[in-house]
Amino acid sequence: MLSVNDLIVLYQKLRALRGVSLEVAEGDLVALIGSNGSGKTTLLNSISGLIPAGAGRIMWQGTPILGMSPDNICREGIIQVPEGRKLFAQMTVEENLEMGAYLPAARAEADQSRQMAFDIFPRLAERRRQTAGSLSGGEQQMVAVARAIMAKPKLLMLDEPSLGLSPLFAAEIFQTIKELNNRDITVLLISQEVLQTLTISNYAYVMENGEIILNGPAKELLDDPRIKESYLGL
Amino acid sequence: MNTVLVIQSLISGIMMGSVYALLGVGFSLTWGVLKVINISHATFGLIGAFLAYTLLKWLGMDPIFSLVVSVPLLFFLACLIFRFLIVPITKAKDVIVTSMILTFGIAIILENLMLLIWSPDPRLLTTAYTSKVLILGPFYFQYPKLAGFLMSAIGVLVIHFFLKKTYTGKAVRAAWQQPDAAQLYGINLRRISMITFGIAVASAGAGGVGMAFLYSFDPHAHNLWLIYLFLVVIVGGVGNVLGAAFAGLIIGVITGLSLAFLPYQWVNLLTFGLLMVILIIRPHGLFKGEV
Repeated sequence: MLSVNDLIVLYQKLRALRGVSLEVAEGDLVALIGSNGSGKTTLLNSISGLIPAGAGRIMWQGTPILGMSPDNICREGIIQVPEGRKLFAQMTVEENLEMGAYLPAARAEADQSRQMAFDIFPRLAERRRQTAGSLSGGEQQMVAVARAIMAKPKLLMLDEPSLGLSPLFAAEIFQTIKELNNRDITVLLISQEVLQTLTISNYAYVMENGEIILNGPAKELLDDPRIKESYLGL
Repeated sequence: MNTVLVIQSLISGIMMGSVYALLGVGFSLTWGVLKVINISHATFGLIGAFLAYTLLKWLGMDPIFSLVVSVPLLFFLACLIFRFLIVPITKAKDVIVTSMILTFGIAIILENLMLLIWSPDPRLLTTAYTSKVLILGPFYFQYPKLAGFLMSAIGVLVIHFFLKKTYTGKAVRAAWQQPDAAQLYGINLRRISMITFGIAVASAGAGGVGMAFLYSFDPHAHNLWLIYLFLVVIVGGVGNVLGAAFAGLIIGVITGLSLAFLPYQWVNLLTFGLLMVILIIRPHGLFKGEV
């Protein structure tokens, strides 16, 4: 479905990504783990078209999408929940969801999508008229995921969805991600919660210094001594 | 002090202030949303005023109906200016300063074009109802001011509801609050920015007609209008439509009251003096900046 080949991204003359390749198959839940500054967010932003790539290829359902503008990549069904949520803070929860379904195709099904989002996060239905900025961190993350649901994603990319959340909220978010995957949404998940991430994923990539250093089925990586030592502290 | 006179000058101040508000709203939007300080904003307002003047003189068209011509025309002109002049400078390091220099140039060019077309003579909008007055009890409402007031109040409300209720308007706010996230959800930033600029300039045209209802004007008049624009934004908060509306009313009321009770030379002195005091007490303006 999505395949990234030898992607190189320069950031202020530094090589933020040094030839990254990655595959996401339809229906998959793929994890991307790695420490801070390893280039995970850069990779997601290049897929979304926010950052121009220096070289390489990004193929989406057989067509190249590298160089396309972010709004056109969104039109293709590649939806990102950005790091730090980036909600429209002075707009209400409802307006944030509405903006998620901005494009005509998503707007046509906005009512069903909203119902689905409120089924998953009943709390947001109660808070629909509050401004997004006035919510707690956990609730804001729910809005961020709900906004993405409104966009009718074919591929949902989440960047650190559990950052800054209480363990309880984090567990809830991971469960929701798994549930969305069960509803036929392909997922690419970035997270530093390595144990929880690998537990719900099918396949995983490990990034360090702008390179993929390890990849394999998530269950195998959980048993890998390098993962145990560097990321799970075992 | 005479109560009737106080209330009368309040009424007159509110009617003037609504026009400042309409003229200022678009200036505030381009500043807040696009980070473009459009020095030529009032110049576009003046074009609206001159178009109204010409259409009235040659076709006998009511200045308010002239908006049917000038608003779409200015919207289209603004889109062209945005595409070919503003877009290139958005790559500049300091967009705000660069935009001021660019639009200052646009203002000078437009001012000289207006001098060529309309000559430097001061003009007045003289309609059939120019000298008519509506009298309610002890108070009177001059028809031209009343027309300017109603047009401006409607104009500001239309822009407010556009931003709050329509999809495109909400996208304008979203793009201002989180440009990256807005793009990730399918909003074309350049298109939204162009629409914002177009609406701002078109509303300036309407505001200019409102100003022409209040004062005589010549091709240099935009220089004084520009100062009112800055006041509206500074008091009302950058990008805040209702804030701009209230700021316009406050400025109008201060002007109205000082016109009634002070010699003419004191009016601007008092208006700007009071606003300086407001700025010293509340450097971020009276209202929060938000779309």
